Amino acid sequence: MLLINCPYCGERDQSEFTNGGEAHVARPKDPDQVNDREWSEYVFVRANPKGIYYERWVHTHGCKKWFNAIRDTSTDEILKIYKIGETPPLIKRFKNTLRSPSGEPDVGSGNFTVKKP
Amino acid sequence: MTQKYRLDKEGYINRKKSISFKFNGKKYFGYHGDTLASALLANGIHLVGRSFKYHRPRGFIGSKEDEPNAKVQLYNGAKTEPNAVATEVELVEGLVAKSQNCWPSVSFDFGAINNFLSKFFPAGFYYKTFMWPKSFWHKIYEPIIRKAAGLGVAPLKPDPDRYEHKFEHCDVLVVGSGPSGLGSALAAAKNGARVILAEDKSKFGGSLLTDQVTIGNKTGKEWADETVEQLKSMPNVVIKNRSQVFGYYDHNMMVMFERTKDHIESPNKYTPRQKLWYIRAKEVLVSTGSIERPLIFGNNDRPGILLASAAKEYIKKYGVLVGKKPVIFTNNDSAYDAAIEFKKNGINPLVVDIRKNSEGTAVKEAKDLGVNIKFSHAVANTKGYLRVSSATVGKLNNDKSGYENLENIPCDCICVSGNWTPTVHLASQSGNKLKFDEIISAFIPNQSHQNETTIGSANGSFTLKKSLEDGFNKGFEVSNKLTKKNIKSDPPTSNEKSYDNYEKFWCMPLPENKKYKRCVDFQNDVYVSDIELAIREGFRSIEHVKRYTTLGMATDQGKTSNLNGLQLVSNIENKIVPEVGHTTFRPPYTPVTIGTIVGREVGKHYRPTRKSPMHSWHEKNNAVFVDAGLWLRPRYYKQGNETLQQAAKREGANVRKNVGICDVTSLGKIDIKGPDSAEFLNRVYTNAWMKLPVGKARYGVMLREDGIVFDDGTTTRISENHFHMTTTTAQAVNVLAHLEYYLQVVWPELDVNVLSTTEQWAGAAVAGPKSRELLKKLFPETDVSNEGFPFMGFKEENLFGIPARVFRISFSGELAYEINVESNHGIFMWEKIMNLGKSMGIQPYGTEALSTLRIEMGHVAGSEIDGRTIPSDLSLEGMLSKKKDFVGKRSLNREAFLNPNREKIVGVIPVDKKTMIPEGSHLVKDKNAALPNPKLGHISASCWSVEYNNPFSLAILKEGKKRIGEKLYALSPLKNKSIEVEVVSSHYVDPKGERVRS
Amino acid sequence: MKKKYSIFNIVKNAFSNNENWKKMWRNPEPRKFYDIVIVGGGGHGLGTAYYLAKEHGLKNIAVVEKGWLGGGNTGRNTTIIRSNYLWDESAHLYEHSLKLWENLSTELNYNVMFSQRGVLNLAHNEHDIKEIKRRVSANKLNGIDSYWADTKQIKKLVPIMNTENCRYPVLGASYQPRAGTARHDAVAWGYAMRADELGVDIIQNCEVKKIRTKNGKVYGIETTKGIIRAKRVGVVASGHTTVLAETAGIKLPLQSKPLQALVSEPIKPVINTVVMSNAVHAYVSQSDKGELVIGAGTDGYNSFTQRGGYNTIEDTLRAIIELYPIFGKMKMLRQWGGIVDICPDASPIISKCEIEGLYFNCGWGTGGFKATPGSANLFAHTIAKDKPHSINAPFNLERFVSGRLVDEHGAAAVAH
Repeated sequence: MLLINCPYCGERDQSEFTNGGEAHVARPKDPDQVNDREWSEYVFVRANPKGIYYERWVHTHGCKKWFNAIRDTSTDEILKIYKIGETPPLIKRFKNTLRSPSGEPDVGSGNFTVKKP
Repeated sequence: MTQKYRLDKEGYINRKKSISFKFNGKKYFGYHGDTLASALLANGIHLVGRSFKYHRPRGFIGSKEDEPNAKVQLYNGAKTEPNAVATEVELVEGLVAKSQNCWPSVSFDFGAINNFLSKFFPAGFYYKTFMWPKSFWHKIYEPIIRKAAGLGVAPLKPDPDRYEHKFEHCDVLVVGSGPSGLGSALAAAKNGARVILAEDKSKFGGSLLTDQVTIGNKTGKEWADETVEQLKSMPNVVIKNRSQVFGYYDHNMMVMFERTKDHIESPNKYTPRQKLWYIRAKEVLVSTGSIERPLIFGNNDRPGILLASAAKEYIKKYGVLVGKKPVIFTNNDSAYDAAIEFKKNGINPLVVDIRKNSEGTAVKEAKDLGVNIKFSHAVANTKGYLRVSSATVGKLNNDKSGYENLENIPCDCICVSGNWTPTVHLASQSGNKLKFDEIISAFIPNQSHQNETTIGSANGSFTLKKSLEDGFNKGFEVSNKLTKKNIKSDPPTSNEKSYDNYEKFWCMPLPENKKYKRCVDFQNDVYVSDIELAIREGFRSIEHVKRYTTLGMATDQGKTSNLNGLQLVSNIENKIVPEVGHTTFRPPYTPVTIGTIVGREVGKHYRPTRKSPMHSWHEKNNAVFVDAGLWLRPRYYKQGNETLQQAAKREGANVRKNVGICDVTSLGKIDIKGPDSAEFLNRVYTNAWMKLPVGKARYGVMLREDGIVFDDGTTTRISENHFHMTTTTAQAVNVLAHLEYYLQVVWPELDVNVLSTTEQWAGAAVAGPKSRELLKKLFPETDVSNEGFPFMGFKEENLFGIPARVFRISFSGELAYEINVESNHGIFMWEKIMNLGKSMGIQPYGTEALSTLRIEMGHVAGSEIDGRTIPSDLSLEGMLSKKKDFVGKRSLNREAFLNPNREKIVGVIPVDKKTMIPEGSHLVKDKNAALPNPKLGHISASCWSVEYNNPFSLAILKEGKKRIGEKLYALSPLKNKSIEVEVVSSHYVDPKGERVRS
Repeated sequence: MKKKYSIFNIVKNAFSNNENWKKMWRNPEPRKFYDIVIVGGGGHGLGTAYYLAKEHGLKNIAVVEKGWLGGGNTGRNTTIIRSNYLWDESAHLYEHSLKLWENLSTELNYNVMFSQRGVLNLAHNEHDIKEIKRRVSANKLNGIDSYWADTKQIKKLVPIMNTENCRYPVLGASYQPRAGTARHDAVAWGYAMRADELGVDIIQNCEVKKIRTKNGKVYGIETTKGIIRAKRVGVVASGHTTVLAETAGIKLPLQSKPLQALVSEPIKPVINTVVMSNAVHAYVSQSDKGELVIGAGTDGYNSFTQRGGYNTIEDTLRAIIELYPIFGKMKMLRQWGGIVDICPDASPIISKCEIEGLYFNCGWGTGGFKATPGSANLFAHTIAKDKPHSINAPFNLERFVSGRLVDEHGAAAVAH
């Protein structure tokens, strides 16, 4: 269970929050001006990176406020939390030496490739 | 009554307190402080079970949670517990235990025939056989396999025990109370940190309880006791025994269970059996120690063959000898401690040591005590069916590929040691990337991913000095990150034996032309030959070997077998161990009782129950309730022997004829305030809202962005910038979340606030031709005429001194009003309405009648708004504004949604006007068509029309409108029914909607 | 078949101490060029290669797998197989698969232990009853064995179930007798062995870094074992599909989420049917080894860590105790997670895309195992013919643009 630092309430257990998917997806200003494909991308297609992910959360069982987080989906480390409307911080470099914290070993597992030492 | 293998001294047991218990039907005695295992061994019992596949006799291997064999069934009836680990069960008076997976008894087990046929079922044999003839698999082979499966038996009655949950936060969690654990807890606590120290055993101290060491001027045990006392006296420390931290989850979320009941002789009725602790620790110190590895040799799985450390522990902790003619077989110095303990207690062990010699002090001490040692020797094989009776010992040849001579040495136990494996489970679960330590031939933590620090022998430091240093230093370091108090405690001086190198040789060769079974995984019957077979068949990954042979998949999760298995793989494949890798360490560290994980929220408390303020009235008036999400709603009010259908008909008819009252409290209510409220509603609802006058309500439909109908309800303009929205019961929570999302994320420029007021208002719908008459009585001062209080009107009123909101809205299709008062006045309102309505024949009606009324009116509800329909399917096109954008509008303008042949809501009546059409039936053209029979639509809701006294259904039908008048068949194959039906309008009663406006 | 398993063969090998069994598959180094490369060595991928070789007579095929065969969701799921889906499109797809399951052990001469012990989907409220009855009727009209079981019948099938004394009583269920479970690892191994026999190169420990394209056509793949050229590339990489698709510039409507499962300690048989429930959310079956195999729902956030939150486990076990209060003193032995790729309509994608020669088989969400043979068979058809089979035609990528979704949100017990 993640520990999430709600910008309004402080650190709370993940069970109080609901994830809202990719952040900064703007609803087309005039939906009638976009074609079916563009519209379907807005409705259905969201980024799904293995690594740095800008996402939204809402403190459902708390202040009910939405906010943004930057999380590394390959480790579930939360790198940054910021409010809706704030400029998304650029995460250029961060320390991520582990590609998965699942306890999956680095050899012979689905996460890594074999490197003969 | 005599415990033949009990020593007069040694151990932390209370010899004054004798305890009786039963094992396999026979009564035995042990002492307070015993485990079931130590008590059985004190009585000379090694044979406790049978292996999983071949039913080979099994005895104790270990003395703690690593035990793979001694799984027993405890007690009988509802209290019974399968697969209890005898080494972990504390002895209490009256304990009843029996062996598992054997019939008729553990000493004579029919299943053992498998052992003689074992050649025919090597690893993976299932996959290659049981296929001929094909039909036999399902009928014969599989049932037999399934019957043979499993170890213990599940209880047949619900678990009567209770379990509790506890939430804790701390600076430093220390897992394990050996030297490094105690040291680190003390150092961290002294440095001002809030510390939790968790020990899974009943006694604190870990290895200090059994090792001959001194710390400062005390024995290890004395130092441990004193440190524990000191920690207990500190207000910033929580110290818990019988508490197993079993899971290390994200962001330092630790989960631990505490055993609180089973060890107590006569527990309080309300004592929880176990407690589950959620601990969010800022730092975790893992000092979980290490586990001894067995050696692999011919028939190394007989009862009486166990770990040397276990033999030592049984002597030191329980005063129990595991045998009187021991052979100790080792590749390292630590096993000599067991030899010394035997010798000190008057038993002459024989040590068989693979190594040429050793300079360690333990070896020297053993030699000085006159222990007989055979260096460069190994145990090649053993004999004895239900208990080991001899060891075949031989001198290893130079390249250790065979033996120079072999002799049979009688013995009653063999204590083995193949060196130690750090218990890295928690570290690995935390994401720590392990590395292989060549010196100890085991994996140790290397790179932490969370705030995890592994210390002591769990980190591969097998000396006391290093463990204490580790503990004190790391305890200070991690606590200082948090407290910054810089109070450093120095590790005490210590004295211990010195240990020489161990020999990296653990799998004994077979004597020439012998095919002895050499066991790797004791419970799951995985032998060296199985692992060889897996590799021979091309399984290269350690995960494949595990899955093909089931190595390490038993209830001990391979604590003693995994590393031996993977060293074997690396040997056979001629690879280094890190190249082979290890299988994943998954939570939990030891099996966790499901009841403990679940806690108190069981049975009726599985989910909260929401009740309206009028609930007690409904109960008193014979309401039969129905679950609507978390809510309990009256389904009907039973009179006499009425069935559901009869009651619904009576209640519905009364609404159509007189007046009825329905509890609508559970409908979602949302207060919407702010200058942009109307604009906001305009965007989330499909219809127009800007011009709604104050004091008026309007019906609205909401879509999801993908164009699917999401919810409907009425919203009322209370004042210029204040609206009251209602939602369906089912979607109340989701609608609020939907509104919040759009307000905060999509249109933050709108100045609007939304708030759920569902629980603040009690609601009653008053419906029927006589409802106006009733309203007049309720609000004598008010003009309730059609002009004074028109359809979709709203008034703030006063109900005999209580503020009330009155809406003229209708779901039943009759003239109707909805009255809301503050929740605490709900019952007052309800009773007032009932009293004043008595003369008009008022009756309460439940959801079933409500449903009947709306179906025959053709109003859509949850069975039509099922997350799959778009507005036009439900004939709601008229609700779609063309002049503005709204959520979901653009999606409606796509090819599939514009298709004129889509489904449409229609009414359907049986041609015979008698047969109810089952809900979920499908409409077809030809009832006898070959399967798959093309489906034209389905029946979404059915009722017995109270207006026309015949069945009526709503259906979602392809090209529905065009088919009005057409005859089709409603097929309900689950009832084997086919009913000829006529397609009619969905608005069966009052199609023009005159009644609501009357 | 070179490695034929028979009673004779087993006895013969027993007498030579099982020392003469052959390798199940080769371990080749990748060649420079293949006609077809399948990315992903799970059941779906290996099956695809098998059917390409077997049914379409194609040669020069490779399967590349970054870890070990069947190490992804194939080896992590709760092995439930059924075909009682609501919509015709899904019903045909899963029934096609179920029919292949029924003959798979014989076809592969490898016992995948397909156990047709029946699956119950429970109804706990009036809404469930309606939905399930509608689905059962639809199944029947599609020729699929599907029944409505009342509480009495449920109690007969699963006597240990608590149907009354709970928050949400059990009011009925759908029952599919032909449904059941199979041995997940064996499916991957069986397909691998027979594909290998037909000349398919199975390359393990070979991670694909990039799908290369040239002028709107697929060119090959970059892997940790170098560049492999290919005329056609089929991607069957479940949770990692979007990561690969992105390297070719393709955006897919998929989200990767953790899905967890757990097993109990083994006990003697107590439950002979697979039971799934939506409202009291958990699935359970008892394995041939005696363990209760319990499936949870997805965790609510994207993640590639192959684990999820402990709260999901707790909630799942709470549902288990609600339905089977006798399990209170049993113990959880092992829990794990996989990464599932979920489509907005909870239906899969088996489709071509805008790049010529590049095909995707993904979006199976929480229910891909049951589809393994069918999915593989249809994907092979799609790649071989460069056009979909009529059964998988509805499961194209275009449906998200046209709105012609196959919305199966009621299908899995998982609320997305």
